[in-house]
Amino acid sequence: MVKPIQEQLKSTDATISIDEASLVAQAKAGNMDSVERLILKHQQRVYNAILKLCGNSDDAAELTQDAFVRVIQNIKTFKGQSSFYTWLFRIAVNLTLNFCKKNSRVSFQPMNSELDEELKHQLKDYLIDKTSPQPPQIAAAKEMHSLLLKALEKLDADQRAVIVLRDIEQMNYTQIAETLDIEIGTVKSRIARGRKNLREILEGVIQ
Amino acid sequence: MKDMEQIEELLNCYIDGELDERKSTEIKRLIDNDSQIHNLYDSLKRYKNLMDTVSQVPAPEGLCDNITAHLERGVLLADTQIYSLKAGRRHLMTRHFMTAAAVIALAAVLSIVIFDIFVPKSSRQQLLSSVLRKKPIKQVLYEKPFADTKPLQDIKVVPAKSYDVPFVAVLTLKTNNPIEVDWFVAKALTTTNLLSQTAAIERQSGTVRYVINCNNQSLADLIQELSFIWPQCTNTKIDIGTEQAGKYVTINNISAGQAMEICKAENFVQRLRMANDLAIINKFTAPAVIDRLYAAADIDSDLLVAQKPALTSVEKTQTAGQSSNDVKNATLTIIVISN
Repeated sequence: MVKPIQEQLKSTDATISIDEASLVAQAKAGNMDSVERLILKHQQRVYNAILKLCGNSDDAAELTQDAFVRVIQNIKTFKGQSSFYTWLFRIAVNLTLNFCKKNSRVSFQPMNSELDEELKHQLKDYLIDKTSPQPPQIAAAKEMHSLLLKALEKLDADQRAVIVLRDIEQMNYTQIAETLDIEIGTVKSRIARGRKNLREILEGVIQ
Repeated sequence: MKDMEQIEELLNCYIDGELDERKSTEIKRLIDNDSQIHNLYDSLKRYKNLMDTVSQVPAPEGLCDNITAHLERGVLLADTQIYSLKAGRRHLMTRHFMTAAAVIALAAVLSIVIFDIFVPKSSRQQLLSSVLRKKPIKQVLYEKPFADTKPLQDIKVVPAKSYDVPFVAVLTLKTNNPIEVDWFVAKALTTTNLLSQTAAIERQSGTVRYVINCNNQSLADLIQELSFIWPQCTNTKIDIGTEQAGKYVTINNISAGQAMEICKAENFVQRLRMANDLAIINKFTAPAVIDRLYAAADIDSDLLVAQKPALTSVEKTQTAGQSSNDVKNATLTIIVISN
């Protein structure tokens, strides 16, 4: 029963155009098909956001599952005042932030250990020397991806949350404020401080 | 420094497209005209672009299956209501309450039983009343122990009606002038109209005996009349008959007054007591003293006469029998003896 739906969703990918409101209504009525459609629609974004926040794929998978379970169990309390996506993200991010605060781990591993000299040189050219006009090709490299996630981990949890929601999830400031239940001014200041701290962290790696 | 933070914040908002058109124009002009701000903007833009390159990773395989399986298990368990967390808590709480209630009830019953067995009834009521803060009900152990009972009062108790013993007396008058005394006796009998009631008059040498049957009052009147001859007598004696025939209480040196009192006695018991008392008194008292005392006192005085008995008792006795003055139950024998 689940497989065909997953296959159908995978086949249509992002172009799927199912009315989210009707899905939520059917899910409220106990329709498991609608529940599965909602999960398949949002699981990747939720998982990626949680992964960027907690920095561990196993924890991210477990937290994603917990977030969806909690959302579906409490879907009858969803009043539709915000979008379902915002509501889902609010639960997922809060769950993850609580998890991170309870299980705060200090990483003593040097961030530049996995970065080879050429990659470091290219990154320096781009960020400091500004000789390269576009992000280096190596940005798509696995090492670069890991470096950025580790740099995010070094950030404060609140700053990390706004950076992830803005730069990775591409949420606007209003959505971020709704998701984290904070003021827009707080979002602005946290984004500014978070990016500054992230820049300092990365500069410390490449120099 | 604070200005730079504000500018940096505005630059971030400009990069993210969160500024309105007017602020965007101002920031753009500022970037164009200020090289430092331009460098900062360029740096922020480059970091932003770098972060944008962070690729999305696919969700783990089977994440949706795990979620739905978790949800279905929760739904199934909720249907059975065996492993439902809320239902389980409620069930557990109910059981705890019921257990606590049962324990309390059992303890209460046991307390009542122990209380009933070991605590006395009076202490129980006192304790209960103190616990309930009620005034204890006064328990009447003896119904009206002293209620409505008046204090004892002395009641003049008249001796029960004595059996009727006729007054029998023998008055002996010894004198040196027997003829004169005899004349006075005859005159007294005449005066008191007792001559007709004189049963016998025996005259022998040196002795005259009169036997008179009348009532007590008449005898008292007779004695009063005879009181004139008392000074003529050298010895006077009266024998009061008792309930035993032939036995007398002898009163020597009896005065006229004492004789009158005896005659006026209401009944036999009083008369006999008076006789006994006077017999003792006269035995130790000279006749002259008696005469003098009687002369000084009223003839009716009971100075030397024993008090009438007045007994106290809670029991009411029958009233004594009336004097039988109107009955001829008195026999007085007057003997005049010559010395």
